[in-house]
Amino acid sequence: MTPHLALTDVSVSFNGFKAVDGLRLSVGKGELRCLIGPNGAGKTTALDLICGKTKADSGSITLDGRELSRLEEHEIARAGVGRKFQVPSVFRQLTVRDNLEVAMCRETGVLATLLRRARTPAGDGLEALAEFVGLADVLDDPAANLSHGQTQWLEIALLLAQDSELILLDEPTAGMTHQETAKTADICQRLKGKHTIVVVEHDMGFVREIGDVISVMHQGALLAEGGVAEISADARVREVYLGTMGIAGA
Amino acid sequence: MTKRETSRHISRHLREGRLQIAAYAAICLAVFLVPVLVDNDFLLNRYARYLVLGMVAMSLALAWGYAGILNLGHALSFGIGSYCMAMTLKLRTVPTHTGSDGLPDFMVWNNVETLPWLWVPFHSTTFAIAAGLLAPALVAAVLGWFMFRGRVTGVFVAIITLASLVVANLLVIDMQAYTGGFNGITDLAQLSLFGITFDAYSKSTYYLVATCLTLSLFACLAVTRSKAGLILQAIRDDERRVRFFGYDVASYKVMAMAVSAAVAGLAGMLYTVVMEFASPTFLGVPLSLSIVIWCAVGGRQSLAGAMLGAIVIAAMQGALSESEAFLETWTLVMGVVFVAVVLFLPQGLAGLVEIVRARLAAARARPAEPIAPVAAPGTGERS
Repeated sequence: MTPHLALTDVSVSFNGFKAVDGLRLSVGKGELRCLIGPNGAGKTTALDLICGKTKADSGSITLDGRELSRLEEHEIARAGVGRKFQVPSVFRQLTVRDNLEVAMCRETGVLATLLRRARTPAGDGLEALAEFVGLADVLDDPAANLSHGQTQWLEIALLLAQDSELILLDEPTAGMTHQETAKTADICQRLKGKHTIVVVEHDMGFVREIGDVISVMHQGALLAEGGVAEISADARVREVYLGTMGIAGA
Repeated sequence: MTKRETSRHISRHLREGRLQIAAYAAICLAVFLVPVLVDNDFLLNRYARYLVLGMVAMSLALAWGYAGILNLGHALSFGIGSYCMAMTLKLRTVPTHTGSDGLPDFMVWNNVETLPWLWVPFHSTTFAIAAGLLAPALVAAVLGWFMFRGRVTGVFVAIITLASLVVANLLVIDMQAYTGGFNGITDLAQLSLFGITFDAYSKSTYYLVATCLTLSLFACLAVTRSKAGLILQAIRDDERRVRFFGYDVASYKVMAMAVSAAVAGLAGMLYTVVMEFASPTFLGVPLSLSIVIWCAVGGRQSLAGAMLGAIVIAAMQGALSESEAFLETWTLVMGVVFVAVVLFLPQGLAGLVEIVRARLAAARARPAEPIAPVAAPGTGERS
C-alpha cells in the first residue's frame, strides 16, 4: 500500500543547527500516528515542514504522491493538510461563530467568497460542532473572552470544520484537564480511519490510549517506530526519552 | 442547547445584520434630506465637499479597519481619480489661448504643440470615469501585489504606501507641461451626464455626490458582509493562521486594497466636480494623513463611523477656522479632539455607539431577572 503521507530524507537547518536531519516517515491512509521524542528532537519542526510553515532544505514530502515541499502554505492546506498549533491560534477579535465560518473553507477563491454571505444558513453543522466541543453557549462571544481550555476546544473545532484529509496536531492536550484529555483522545479515535492524523504529544497516557504506531524522533531523525509495547521495550528509546521507568511510568 | 435556542441565535444574528443595514439606510436618507432643509447653494457645495471626504475615509476603513492594511498613501487613489475627471473637463472648455486642436491653456504656456497621447482618450467622459475608477484600483493592486506577495506587513506597508504617494506627488508637480504642475488643472467645464449639467454650486451636484456615496457605502458594506469580508477580518487578526485554511492571503489583501482604491478614485472624481479644479494637494501627504485621522476618529472598524468621522472633523475644521474665537487656535482644538478620541475611544465614535448599546442591553437585562430567576439570565442575550 502506498503511504498517504511520506517524508523522504527531509532535512532543514536553522543557522547551522540541523533541526531535522534526513527524516523518513510514512503514514498510511486513515492511520493515527503519534510522534514522540525529547525536547528539541524536531517534532514540531517536522509538522512545520509538512504544512509548509518551514521550507525543507532537501528531501521530499508527498501527500497521496503529490509533492508538497514546493507549494505555498495555502496550497498545501488546499491539498488537504490541516494543522493545530502548539500555542492556540484562533482569531481573537472574531466571535466563535465567525472563527468556525472561516474554518469552513470549501471555497477559498476571492471571487467565490465575495459572492457568498459571511454566515452560512442553519443546518450546515456549525451549531452541532460548537455543541460537540461545548462552545454552543459562547457562539457569539469574541474568541478573546474564552478561557485557555475553551480556546483549545475552539482550535480543535476549527480543525473539524476544516475537515482536512491529513490532520496535524501539535500537543493537543496541553493545559487540559483529565476529562478533557480523555475527550480529545475520544475525538482522535473517531477521526481515525476517515482522516490521517499525526499527533505530537508529551502526555504518554494520552499516547498509550490513542496510539497504534508510535514514531520516536531524536536529534532530527527517526529513532524507532512500532507499537506501544515495542517502543516501551526499546532500549534506545528508554535511554533518550522515556527513562528507566518505561512508557508505563511516564 | 435546544432547537429553539439555536434558532434564537440565528435570528439574533439576522436581526443585528438588519439593524446595521437599517442604520446605514437611515444615514443615507438623512444625507438626501439635507437639501430640503438647506436652500443655500454655497452651503450645499460645502456639504458636498464634506460628503466626498467622508467617502474617501470610508474607503480607507475597508482596507485599514477590515483588512489591517494601513495605507498612508490613500490620497494617491483619490488624486488619480481627481485628475482623471479634471482632464476630461479641461478638454471640454473653450481654451482661452487656442493652440492646435483645443489645447489646454497651461500646455500652450509650456510650449506643448500637440495634445499628449495620455490626454487623447480623455475627450470621452465615459473613458475618464472608467479610468477614474480603474486606474487607482490598478495602481493599488500592482503595489499591493508586490507588497503582499513579498509578505510585507505592518508598519512597512505604511512606509511603502506613503513613499509611493510622495513619488507620485513629485511626478505630478514636476511634469508641468502635462499636469499643470503646482497649479494643477483649473478653469474646468461643468460635468454633463445624461443631459444633466452638474454646477458645483447646485442641488444637482449635491445629489450626485449623495448618490455615489450611498452606492459606494452599500457596495463596501456588501464586501464586509460577504464571506470574503469575514476572511479579511481574520487576516487582520492572524494572517498566518488564515493561510493554513487554504486562503491565499495576498490575493484577499490585493482585492481589499483595489476596491478601497476604486472608491477613493470615485471620491476624487467627485471632488474635482465639487471644487472645480484638481491640484497636487489632492494627492499630497497632508491630505493622506488627514484621511487616516478621520478614519481613526470615526472608528476604522465601521464604514459609517469612518465616514461620519470625516464629515464631523471636516465640518468642525470649517466652522472653527472661520469663527472669531478660534481663528488662531483652531488647529490646537482639533489636536485635542484627536488625542481625546484616541485615548478614550480607541474604536472611535462608532465605538461610542457600541458602548451605549451594551449599557442599554445590560440595563434591559437587569430588571428581567426577578421575573424569571430560573432561566439563567443572560446566557442567550449576551451583549
